[in-house]
Amino acid sequence: MKYHLLERALLLLFGIMPLAFTAHAGPPEFELEIRDHLFIPDELRIPAGQKVKLVVYNRDSTPEEFESYELNREKVIMGNSKAIIFIGPLKPGEYPFFGEFNPTTALGKVIAE
Amino acid sequence: MLLSSVVLVLREVLEAALLFSLLMALSKQLQISQRWVFSALIIGMLGAAICGFNVDRISELFDGVGQEVLNAGMQYGIFILLCGVGVVAILYARGFAMPAYLLPVLMAGSVIVALIREGSEIMIYLSGFLLGSEQWAAMLTGSAIGAGIGVSVGAVFYYALITLKPRRVAMVGLVLLVLIAAGMVLQATELLIQADWLPADFPLWDTSALLPEQSVTGQLLYALIGYEATPTALQLGAYLTAVFLITGAVFAATRWPHADPA
Repeated sequence: MKYHLLERALLLLFGIMPLAFTAHAGPPEFELEIRDHLFIPDELRIPAGQKVKLVVYNRDSTPEEFESYELNREKVIMGNSKAIIFIGPLKPGEYPFFGEFNPTTALGKVIAE
Repeated sequence: MLLSSVVLVLREVLEAALLFSLLMALSKQLQISQRWVFSALIIGMLGAAICGFNVDRISELFDGVGQEVLNAGMQYGIFILLCGVGVVAILYARGFAMPAYLLPVLMAGSVIVALIREGSEIMIYLSGFLLGSEQWAAMLTGSAIGAGIGVSVGAVFYYALITLKPRRVAMVGLVLLVLIAAGMVLQATELLIQADWLPADFPLWDTSALLPEQSVTGQLLYALIGYEATPTALQLGAYLTAVFLITGAVFAATRWPHADPA
């Protein structure tokens, strides 16, 4: 009886182990650009319900701060630099963001769907 | 342009000013020297300048999330310093013998770190304009106005605290200390989630219909206690843990058996 149980347990274990070695894909990456104090694109569509990696390229020579109350994110991006910001998981909806250093022109929103 | 300068500088100054005013009020209440204030302000602003000019190098650290990690580290640091302030203030008030410099050093340390944290962002903002622009005058004026408003709010806060009856000041002061310290932990935790050092999740609730973070009250509460309209379970847990830790430390200080029956 015990032998059969052990056999089954080992089979189960060896069956599951390969799954542990499955390559874990990183979160999807999306790019955002800051140019002339504008966000390009100003509407970014991302999948809802999962973590997303935003790579923001600041093509201006002056620094900008990516900020969003709805996303709870704030990060300074120096001129001619890029920054990585993780957002999500988000429920489907619209999440506005802005450039705090140029809030009248640098505006955009993330649309999770 | 001028208006956005006002808002930006105001928001940063406000956070540091409220903490600063609370510690000043506590110093006055405990009748300890308030001279730490001047050194703290100068060192803090120097530190902010150094940090501000090195942002590009800092951002590259830790695989691109150096900003978040360092800022979070500073805020957790302020939390620990404020725990120290609470405990030492209680022991001092109860008549324990302790070095006279201890409480001022802890308070100065908190203010310095807070100034570096908030001031560096202002420095970065200003640096963007030194690269030759016509809007420089408007930006400077706006920044001065914003700083002035922030300092004024801090002053009102200070006077409101010191005109309370002595007994009340202790209670109110400690409650505010606990909330400000916990707010620091909340913000720091949010930064580490942003950096993907801590797991992200869906928020537990959304109170932005009741009190939007963008509103004036929302911003004031954010600056004071770290108000967050959409906290995740981890953020809430961190906040409650922080409240528990500092309240526990302060409570233990009130009960610590007196070594000297002086």
